[in-house]
Amino acid sequence: MRTYLYDGSFESFLTALSLALERTEECAIAREAGAEAGLFTEFINAGSDPSRAAAARALFEGRGSPESWHHARYAFLSESPGAEDAVLAYARLIKEKGRAADDMLADDRVKSVHALSAAVGGEAHMFKGFVRFTELADKALYARIEPDHNILPLLTGHFRARLGELNWVIHDARRNSAALYFGGRLVYAPLEAARLTPDAKEEEVRALWRHFFKTAAIKERVNPKLQRQNVPLKYRKNLTEFG
Amino acid sequence: MDLQEKLEILADSAKYDASCASSGSNRAGRGTGAAHQSGVCHSWTADGRCVSLLKILMTNECVYDCAYCVNRRTSDSRKAILTPDEIAGLTFEFYKRNYIEGLFLSSGIVVSPDHTMELMLAAVRKLRENYHFNGYVHMKVIPGADQALIDQAGLWADRVSVNIELPSDKSLQLLAPGKTKETVLRPMHRLAQRIAAHKDERRSIKSSPAYAPAGQSTQLIIGATPETDREIIKLSEALYAKMALKRVYYSAFVPIMKDSRLPALREPPLLREHRLYQADWLLRFYGFTADELLDEKHPGLDLNFDPKTVWALNNLDKFPLEVNKASYEEILRVPGIGVTSAQRILRARRAGALKLDDLKKLGVVMKRAVYFVTAGGKYGGVQKDSGDAIKVKLLEHKNPNGQLDLFGQAQPVSEGLEGAVTGQL
Repeated sequence: MRTYLYDGSFESFLTALSLALERTEECAIAREAGAEAGLFTEFINAGSDPSRAAAARALFEGRGSPESWHHARYAFLSESPGAEDAVLAYARLIKEKGRAADDMLADDRVKSVHALSAAVGGEAHMFKGFVRFTELADKALYARIEPDHNILPLLTGHFRARLGELNWVIHDARRNSAALYFGGRLVYAPLEAARLTPDAKEEEVRALWRHFFKTAAIKERVNPKLQRQNVPLKYRKNLTEFG
Repeated sequence: MDLQEKLEILADSAKYDASCASSGSNRAGRGTGAAHQSGVCHSWTADGRCVSLLKILMTNECVYDCAYCVNRRTSDSRKAILTPDEIAGLTFEFYKRNYIEGLFLSSGIVVSPDHTMELMLAAVRKLRENYHFNGYVHMKVIPGADQALIDQAGLWADRVSVNIELPSDKSLQLLAPGKTKETVLRPMHRLAQRIAAHKDERRSIKSSPAYAPAGQSTQLIIGATPETDREIIKLSEALYAKMALKRVYYSAFVPIMKDSRLPALREPPLLREHRLYQADWLLRFYGFTADELLDEKHPGLDLNFDPKTVWALNNLDKFPLEVNKASYEEILRVPGIGVTSAQRILRARRAGALKLDDLKKLGVVMKRAVYFVTAGGKYGGVQKDSGDAIKVKLLEHKNPNGQLDLFGQAQPVSEGLEGAVTGQL
């Protein structure tokens, strides 16, 4: 089977998608790193072509709707195994049915992409709450996150609106990438490890917060199962109040 | 007393207020902070309740002596007071680190209601004016404070609230000497008028300043007094209709205070509280009236079944419903179908007729809905006309190990449609 390889970027993925959509036979899309060769796999490097990427976007937005584009983009950010092929199947359906495709909620091609998109949207919303900043000696704020999905690009708008003129960094330690907001400009950059000097007052504020958090629970209502449902254990290591 | 000890005392006394929402406002502007329309939860404490705001009292001193209240005058707990500077500073430090969405400020009555309101207003003003803080602020209004002070609360806060606490005048007289229905409802009514007037004004003058943009809420304590669920839900219905409240919170009475006027409960009535929230959701998002859910002969909510299921079992003549034909309003009344899945059904059936198997994919909870729907004429339940047979089946599903598992539902932080989704019945 023909498999289009992309370099991990969204533009390259959309390029691969646009190439795959031109074929009538079944194809697959896979990330270069980690693509597994089967006996009859034919690999083709998709490269990264802005005009092809734009054409793929236009298919979702034009033939489908802004909603279709939203779901395709979020499903891609899920980085879940099989997400690429799910988006490809979804794109084929949109090509065939147009905007009616998104109404076919019980159809597996639609349902799986909508579900991936909802998982990403849900995690991004949770992290609007779960990001924990440390104030550094130079007054910049630094947060480390390790989300399941690649939600960093979905968080920056929220924190720009929220933190005003403060400088901040959100570091996705799982993907070694960071969003840096300094002097009113937002930049994405690779970041492996950060050497940090917390502000002198930092430990005091954290202690106050932990104290508040502990006190706020009503002991007659203690319910660890419910707490685990809401704050899954996997997220706790970067949360000040659980540290 | 250091800040940590004060915070501990004042968070401890504030935690019995059930309100946790940070939704309904989209305040933004220069400075720091912006409210998020749907609200954001930042953490969940060991009791599984969401932490969205720094929920504290300004002081736990109080001139009143309400029997149910941990801060009553005659309680021998440690007393503390936070200055406006301390409140504003703490809120800002927590907010900057993204621990919270903002501040929830309540208070015991120190010296007088007016004096208390003035101090609280000073704290919130400091936050808005000195820190240029645009995050969320929920402010309690102190009954008995001067009208001019009450009016100011809405100018600085996103949400305002007056707690009714006890659902009838008789109970107030018994447990809260010094408070009457009148003293509680007067400021609530005043705020409702001001909120409505500002909304009107904003329609014509866009630049007019917001007034409590996230509206008004209140809280009722459940189980400390003998009111029935019907009385409580009727009261909530009236508050939504007449006072345009955004939320009524129900707080299961936690028996920490010993008093001969209080019932001797061994533990807080959490399941009853949960059922009241479900009934409340049915009023606000599902088009039910209080009278449909509870009548004089059956004034209490069933603890075994959620109130929508009870209603459906009492109205079997309206079921099973054909999902390919029924209206949105009818579909909303099916047990196991929430707002989201009802909307999905309407959308999906435009693309083609739905089969029973499809419903699960749309998010319908089939173990409840199956007894009340048909799809393309096919019915998957037991006898459609036997409420008893359906009940037996529903109970089997619910208690596979013979255990009740009804506390697994969080109180949603939001109260828009997203809230309805989390509180889905």
